Amino acid sequence: MGGSEVQDTRANMDEELLRFMDLLELLEKKRETLNSLIEQGWFSITKARYSMGNKHVSALQYASEMVPLVCVHTKALENGEVQFFTERHIQKSSAESSDDLLPVEDIGPQEEGLRRRNKTKKDTPEKKDTEVAKTAKGPEVNPVRKIDQNPQQDPLKWFGILVPQPLKQAQSSFKQVIELSAEIAALQSAVLRTRQKLRLSLAKELNSEKSLGKSAKEKCPTSDLTVSEQKECIQQNKIVV
Amino acid sequence: MAGRGKLIAVIGDEDTCTGFLLGGIGELNKNRKPNFLVVEKDTSVTEIEETFKSFLARNDIGIVLINQFIAEMIRHAIDGHVQSIPAVLEIPSKEHPYDASKDSILRRAKGMFSAEDFR
Repeated sequence: MGGSEVQDTRANMDEELLRFMDLLELLEKKRETLNSLIEQGWFSITKARYSMGNKHVSALQYASEMVPLVCVHTKALENGEVQFFTERHIQKSSAESSDDLLPVEDIGPQEEGLRRRNKTKKDTPEKKDTEVAKTAKGPEVNPVRKIDQNPQQDPLKWFGILVPQPLKQAQSSFKQVIELSAEIAALQSAVLRTRQKLRLSLAKELNSEKSLGKSAKEKCPTSDLTVSEQKECIQQNKIVV
Repeated sequence: MAGRGKLIAVIGDEDTCTGFLLGGIGELNKNRKPNFLVVEKDTSVTEIEETFKSFLARNDIGIVLINQFIAEMIRHAIDGHVQSIPAVLEIPSKEHPYDASKDSILRRAKGMFSAEDFR
């Protein structure tokens, strides 16, 4: 190998090493943020449990059917690294179809002296229903949502209709944790890939020194490399071992 | 890679699973197995390991989140996983804070160089 190639290899190694260090530093920072957000989330869950009761914030409240509201997309890059992107699905709007409605009979005390409405031509069925809704306290039929049976509902609703603010804060914290998890997964992939490239470059460099007469074993034992890394290095350098 | 997104799985204690399910990652229906496992005091190591391996075998899971103290129980299985997907992230638990020296990924990155390399 010529001197210029050796210089190029060393320059590449330096760049990869600096990139490796930068990735590790970034990974550490993201880790700290992730850990603190998780701890914040636990603290909020504990506060919610304190106000709602032990049994009201537990695995017993999990729905029997769940649909994931967030997913992760993966993309393999040319350099062998993998990128992760999260995507949050927009939940159903509050407007529902009639299929989702269940008639619920609400039985209560009837109003004394219930008015006797004269059936005239002017009274339409819709107007009657409106009057019933406004005045009568008798049995009513109100359509309500099938909240419990909608798998795509907000998980917050597993714990009740009105949940304390700490539980909402916990949900917000864990949503951020999920976003960060994707970034950390990508960073981990980049760290491992950069490490592999560095070791290959190092082995290549040492083999080139060996071919120039210096003993590689004095510098760094190649037994540290895995079998696949050794084979790749030998193929790249066409060195007979 | 376009198309339907992958799931995020979680193996953790009750509060960890509750938190992430609140975040909206949970999938549970009659046909498919859940993408989460709540580890309690009486959960066996075998069950944890089998669940972890089943998550790795599924092609619709992109990230596996696992409490570090649970990861320690199945360290050999985690160290044996070298593929990029699904990515395995170790997270702290309430009783066991995160320890970078135990993280599989960082341990692999740790033994990069020896002192001889810089001579």
